[in-house]
Amino acid sequence: MSRNRPELTPVVVQRLIFDTEPWLSCDDCFRLVDQYVEMVLQGSDVQMPAMKVHLEGCAACAEEAQSLLELAAEDAGQDPAEVLGALLGR
Amino acid sequence: MTALSPLPLKAPARATDDQYDWPAALTAQGPAREEALGRLHQFLLRAAFHQVSRMSRPGVGRDRIDEIANQAADEAMVCLLSKLSTFEGRSRFTTWAYKFAVLQAAVEVRRQSWRDREIPLDESYVVAARGSTPEEHVEASDLASAVWDAIDHVLTPHQRSITVALLVDEVAIDVLAERLGTNRNALYKTLHDARGRIRTHLQSTGHLHSASPGGAR
Repeated sequence: MSRNRPELTPVVVQRLIFDTEPWLSCDDCFRLVDQYVEMVLQGSDVQMPAMKVHLEGCAACAEEAQSLLELAAEDAGQDPAEVLGALLGR
Repeated sequence: MTALSPLPLKAPARATDDQYDWPAALTAQGPAREEALGRLHQFLLRAAFHQVSRMSRPGVGRDRIDEIANQAADEAMVCLLSKLSTFEGRSRFTTWAYKFAVLQAAVEVRRQSWRDREIPLDESYVVAARGSTPEEHVEASDLASAVWDAIDHVLTPHQRSITVALLVDEVAIDVLAERLGTNRNALYKTLHDARGRIRTHLQSTGHLHSASPGGAR
């Protein structure tokens, strides 16, 4: 059964045209995310552009990385809200 | 989604004890290993509970959250122990361990959320013929129309199906992977290739500058 195409909101358009280079797979994201999160928490100048791009382009990995950041932040006695933006490279 | 309780469980004791040799304890024999397994399960349960809580819809009962979190922690434990040799010490062991529980819990919550919902696949959309629906182009933005044009005409049927399901209909990637008998990695690669084709098309039509990552004119 066919259906009409939904209108694309600006948010969805940006999602569709988002440039996901440099490439990083979800598997590699999972492999690196603990290290990445701790670097973000330490306020390091994180040189992992592919990870930042991946987390912008993959909603599931981003949701899990944010959660991991919150857990690691509590262990480190830090406020995760202060570094959530850095997680996604914003 | 709404977080019911940001961090409902506190970190178990010695959460930040960086001197504790987790790999050694978990590969030891006897009581030392049993103690390490018990402590590890506490950490995994905390992470799973955190993830389930932050993803669950309002109204989901505490018992259900506990059930999902416990199941996720158990599955994470098995997965982690099978990959223990890959721990390289690039992060705290606990941070490394949390990610297994977070993943298992997130996948399970997404699965539950989509359990009774139909997953629309793009074959059911009316694919527009080029130039045949001018009224749509008037009503929608020029860029949005150009993006639909790219979806219709430069993506393969498989790319179109995956892209629309994930980015337009917002189907959870794990759920779609499970229904299609594939995995998150493969779907994200399909999405990556599709986005590249859409961008190339938009650059050829002048809707997107090649030097503007993620941006449109």
